[in-house]
Amino acid sequence: MLHLVAANIRQRPLRMLISVLGVALGVNLVMLFTGLASGMAKDLERRSSNVRAEILFTRPGSMQLTSSTASLDVRYVERLKAIDGVADATPVILYVTQGSAGFGFERLEGIEWKSFAAMNRMSITEGRAPSAANEVIVDATKQRNDNLQINQEIKLFGDKSYRVVGVYQPESGARIKMTLAAMQDALEAAGKSTYILVKARDGVTAEELAQRLEAELPGNKIQLTRDISTNFERSVPFLGTFLRVLVALSAIVSTLVIMLAMYTTITERTREIGTLKALGASRGFIIWTIEQEALLISVIGLVIGFITAFVAGAAIERFSGLIFEYSWRWALVAVAIGLFGGALGALYPATRAANLDAVEALAYE
Amino acid sequence: MKTILRAENLYKTYRVGSVDVHALRDVSLEVEEGEFVAIMGPSGCGKSTLLHLLGGLLQPTSGRITVDEEDLSAASDAARTDIRRRKIGFVFQRFNLFPTLTAEGNLRLAEQIQSKNNTDDATRRTEVLKLLRLEDKMKHKPMELSGGEQQRVAVARAIITNPALILADEPTGNLDSENSAIVLNMLQELNYRFNQTIVMITHNPEAAAMCRRIVYMRDGQITTPAVSVQISG
Ligand SMILES: Nc1ncnc2c1ncn2[C@@H]1O[C@H](COP(=O)(O)OP(=O)(O)OP(=O)(O)O)[C@@H](O)[C@H]1O
Ligand SMILES: [Mg+2]
Repeated sequence: MLHLVAANIRQRPLRMLISVLGVALGVNLVMLFTGLASGMAKDLERRSSNVRAEILFTRPGSMQLTSSTASLDVRYVERLKAIDGVADATPVILYVTQGSAGFGFERLEGIEWKSFAAMNRMSITEGRAPSAANEVIVDATKQRNDNLQINQEIKLFGDKSYRVVGVYQPESGARIKMTLAAMQDALEAAGKSTYILVKARDGVTAEELAQRLEAELPGNKIQLTRDISTNFERSVPFLGTFLRVLVALSAIVSTLVIMLAMYTTITERTREIGTLKALGASRGFIIWTIEQEALLISVIGLVIGFITAFVAGAAIERFSGLIFEYSWRWALVAVAIGLFGGALGALYPATRAANLDAVEALAYE
Repeated sequence: MKTILRAENLYKTYRVGSVDVHALRDVSLEVEEGEFVAIMGPSGCGKSTLLHLLGGLLQPTSGRITVDEEDLSAASDAARTDIRRRKIGFVFQRFNLFPTLTAEGNLRLAEQIQSKNNTDDATRRTEVLKLLRLEDKMKHKPMELSGGEQQRVAVARAIITNPALILADEPTGNLDSENSAIVLNMLQELNYRFNQTIVMITHNPEAAAMCRRIVYMRDGQITTPAVSVQISG
């Protein structure tokens, strides 16, 4: 690294800091948003992997990440059980509501505990199963995060009071569960459910079972439970687009910030550039000198960006229960944005500097 | 004796709007190795223009320039820069040191641009610094040096890479008489001790008197004969 580069950067600490923060902001945007998206997806995936039923039987369009309806008649349970290859079927209402922390989503499930627990091999580790219309059970994570005690009252659906009567394990689906009847009551959806979990008999594959259900009960939505988590990105409309826009945005921010900084730098140092030319510095030398300065700023910005993103992510995780999971892929994208944005942003000022007329630059005041 | 610099029939015309300014008109000049030449003349007569042409910072409108056997006037911009890098050291009236670098850093930058060969001459380097009495100023930034000291650093920067030719445009123009004398003495000593070829523009007759030859210019033309006339120093 040319000592001129380091000396120049040290000379204008404020400008350097602003450029560094510009790059760091880009890294923050990319890391936090993609970290949140994949953290939430992974969390859902982990919880849904504890569901042992192979098939999720529902009405088309009744389940989305941000909303769901209870429009499936529970009498389908009996019809499903009658189909050859079905070992068991149990109805669930999924209710999605705005998270208590003000962002994110909170999910509640109404289940028939006995059959649900039997199918998914779940058990109560503390307290007992819910039975009355105002009773819920939670998983261990929920209990720990919200510091819940047995018999503690919590508010759901805005202002309805519920009592925590037990803790179940393993984690699966929504962290708060109540009886199907209680949920039907709360949502005024008697006799309805959101979906029915269907377990295959031994020796029957998920695909075979799906085909049979499709044949017997056409027009419904038959989903393999193992596909659900991979559907996460698709289930939030425009999430992929949103992430791409974000990446583009942070690339633009990094590029512009560095371009601006380098532009003012070369204007300020016009006479020095003239002197470099008088000393015999080639166009390449001048361009590379300025590029190095930009890249140094980028690298510092990247380091600070990663540190602040991880710290902010950890803080948000702690206070909101949102989960961040960073991937190498997106980290590399952030690095590429920082370096590429820096190099690209500096390219125009650098070529301009290299193209300056030596005599005019030397005469610059 | 070897001819370091040969300028033949140089013309330089600037176009300002629709007016042609003839800054140089048929200028020819030869400088032998080890000469110390002063260029004098009234303001606006074309001295700086000539020096910029000789250093390859400008292209002549017509005419030919060779520096140490390399043809500057026929070269592309990049090739002229390369010849300048290898053959020429500039000294300016306003010193033009890099303010963010120490004296040593300024010298090092020149060496980095030079990059090839020539820099292995450590004895020359120490001798130069000793001659310019800069040994204890190496860690200072330009702002922490007097004008005279800054110009000495600039001279050191110009010669550290061992150029065939030094071009100086009013090197004492920003200095008081005492510092002028110091810098001029040093240039003279470089000329004697290392046989360094120097072409220097000056308005100061005393400075010119220290040179081996004076070239007078007027209205874009040289008024003294182009051939070397030795003035005993
Ligand atoms: N870039 C330019 N565009 C137009 N005219 C120019 C330019 N540079 C110099 N000139 C003109 O060319 C002529 C010679 O200028 P030059 O700078 O070479 O003079 P000089 O002898 O160095 O003067 P001084 O002693 O004041 O430095 C002047 O008339 C000047 O106005
Ligand atoms: Mg001049």
